[in-house]
Amino acid sequence: MQPGPQTPDRKRRAKFLIGGGVIFLSLVILVTWAMTRPNSTSFFYTPTEVIDLAAAPSAEYRVNGKVLPDSVRREGLTTSFEISDGRTELDLTTDQALPDAFWTAMANDSSEVEVVARGRYDGTVFTATEVLAKCPSKFKAKANA
Amino acid sequence: MTFSLASLGRPSLVAALALMLAAMALSAWGGTKKQSAAAEAGRRALTLAAGFVVLAGVALVTALFAHDFSLDYVTSYSSLALSRGYTLAALWGGMEGSLLFWTMLLCGFSAVAVRRRRGDDTLLRTWATTVLAGISVFFLVLLIWPANPFVVLADPPPNGTGLNPLLQSPGMLIHPPLLYTGFVAFSIPFAFGMAALLTRRLDESWLRLTRRWTLFAWSALSIGVVLGGAWAYTELGWGGYWAWDPVENASFMPWLTATAYLHSVVIQEKRKMFKVWNLSLILMTYALAVFGTFLTRSGILSSIHTFTEGPIGKWFLPFLALMLVGGLAMIGSRLDSLRSENRFDSLLSRESAFLANNVLFLAAAFAVLWGTIYPIIAEAVSGVRLAVGPPFFNSVFIPIGLALIALTGLGPLIAWRRMNPKAFLRMIRIPLGAGAATAIALAAAGVTSVGALTAIALCSFTAVAVGSEFVRGSRVHRAREKLGWPAALARTLMRNRRRYGGYIVHLGVVLIVLGFSGASFKVERSAHLAEGSSMVVGDYTLTYEELVRGETGEKEIYQANISAARDGELVEALTPQRNLHKVQQQYQSEVAIASSPIEDLYVVVTAIDPDGDASVRAFVNPLTWWIWAGAAVMAIGMSVLLSEPSPARVRATSPARVAKPAVATR
Repeated sequence: MQPGPQTPDRKRRAKFLIGGGVIFLSLVILVTWAMTRPNSTSFFYTPTEVIDLAAAPSAEYRVNGKVLPDSVRREGLTTSFEISDGRTELDLTTDQALPDAFWTAMANDSSEVEVVARGRYDGTVFTATEVLAKCPSKFKAKANA
Repeated sequence: MTFSLASLGRPSLVAALALMLAAMALSAWGGTKKQSAAAEAGRRALTLAAGFVVLAGVALVTALFAHDFSLDYVTSYSSLALSRGYTLAALWGGMEGSLLFWTMLLCGFSAVAVRRRRGDDTLLRTWATTVLAGISVFFLVLLIWPANPFVVLADPPPNGTGLNPLLQSPGMLIHPPLLYTGFVAFSIPFAFGMAALLTRRLDESWLRLTRRWTLFAWSALSIGVVLGGAWAYTELGWGGYWAWDPVENASFMPWLTATAYLHSVVIQEKRKMFKVWNLSLILMTYALAVFGTFLTRSGILSSIHTFTEGPIGKWFLPFLALMLVGGLAMIGSRLDSLRSENRFDSLLSRESAFLANNVLFLAAAFAVLWGTIYPIIAEAVSGVRLAVGPPFFNSVFIPIGLALIALTGLGPLIAWRRMNPKAFLRMIRIPLGAGAATAIALAAAGVTSVGALTAIALCSFTAVAVGSEFVRGSRVHRAREKLGWPAALARTLMRNRRRYGGYIVHLGVVLIVLGFSGASFKVERSAHLAEGSSMVVGDYTLTYEELVRGETGEKEIYQANISAARDGELVEALTPQRNLHKVQQQYQSEVAIASSPIEDLYVVVTAIDPDGDASVRAFVNPLTWWIWAGAAVMAIGMSVLLSEPSPARVRATSPARVAKPAVATR
């Protein structure tokens, strides 16, 4: 509507570019900082990798594998079981509550339960601070129950 | 074989597809050649197609209620024992049904949005018909081929599997439909935006025509997201309401961009600025809404929500890419017509505050998007498998959220175009004082968490700033019309619903943030208890009195009777359960919550030994109550906004109102 003279226009554009740059940079810094916070990101390993690495116990990471159904023991708050990637078995223990889906799967078709556990490995046992269970398409599979 | 409505399901979808293709072609031709008869035929084809999609929906719902187990879908997601409400919920309990539901909403909304109205823009509507028909074609193709809800079983079982007990919660009756309503309703502003680009009618008319749709979509999405949190809180038993799960993020990202859009639209309407920005925002919002549907249904990310993993993932990406590339190309080719007609006059202006709001919302959306898709990118690029957890999202989101809540308070204090800094200082004095006083009081009371202290102080600042707007408005009406305070307040609200309705929504947001800040005072304890023994959580002593066993047709019930005492006095009797649903052989914990504005006592039984010993997990969640209260306040504000009279009439007065610098009027 009211285009200003040439110079203020360019000045304005420069201001916008600088402003935009500063905002973008702060966002990048914020995201980068957040990514390096403790437990922001955690790596996934297989039981084989956990044992091969003999893991640096400094950071938490995730391990996933199939639960060996006969290995599940619960004693009070503590649950322990073994998980496997088909090659290596890993002892896992946790004092956290396991999801309902885990116990449901154990009570049903327990050979297909996969867990993702977050925690640390001390050379013999993986101590998990969180365990998620994944039981693919259990409803479809049991259509004729 | 007797006739069943279900046999009409797929043919209806095929008919709808044919009609939608016709609607697309006719309206495009009518729009190009200015043939109003063709355009009208296209519109009617779309309406008729919507009818057929609804027929298909009715067919599936009927089959669910009739327990027609010859349909694979009915067998997989319902059972004889399922209650009526949850039988209806089975419509969106599985992938195929929820896509049918999505499509039904899409076609229904489209038919309403393109209907003829007096004095509207025919050409814009014609092209919007083309776009909406095009989107519908995609979903109908999905429903007819890869995600057919009408697959017939050769050998029907006597009973179905039933709906996942996790989904059997009152929240699930309204959370998914609201979320889908929100996602889908954004199709309308998106389609009109694209139509505006196609026709080069890039003034404010497309915004005006779709303003109510935008508000409606945003309201549904907001309430849907909150109810999702409420569902997680009351059903999942981990004591929280938001886990930054990929699917939660999928609903949150379009909400963030939509909220930015909702605000920046105001700038275009009042000051004819931000035109490219608005089109980009609605494109982004809709793309994220479709991406959200895709994330939920593709199984690409493992999540609590991926109840089904479907073969439709690969269909969504090309559709999304087409939408984004097409939309961006179109915006790019129309840049010359999208120039701002005004400029920023001053850094201290309402315009700048709105711009800052947009930048922050967009930054938040990108940060959440980054955290959500980073695992996919990392695995594709370097083969590293990793997960991004809540600490990342909290670290990014808390600072941005706090800046936004501060801005919510600052915005109304700043005048349009430019403001005298002295006048600004005069305006900010009282709210700032309130915020500072709150901070000092909290520090004196021994609150050490900087985050919570800042959050609550900012809440108080913003509440006072927004509240004083109501006082200022009412004072004018009181003086001018000799009204009492309540009448003056009501008059203020009703005279400018858009502004004051918005402020009510902001007050709701303040309460929600107050609720969030309570999370920093959360206490959690777990214990394995024998009957008669106790544990301590926060100020409470919980005693596990006894285990009560029971049974219904649907489930075996194990109920732990737990009493809660504070300072030796009995305050609550809690009855968390751990039940076994018989048909599904599924364990399901039922949480017990004693809720109050001060704090929630939240108890869940995670395991029960054969001898009756129970693993009990207990939380004290301060201020969580305010999240739900804030959502209710937001809902009130939304209804005020939606009750606004037709936007066309409002527009006649608004440009004049902002033309003069607003400083003088304050």
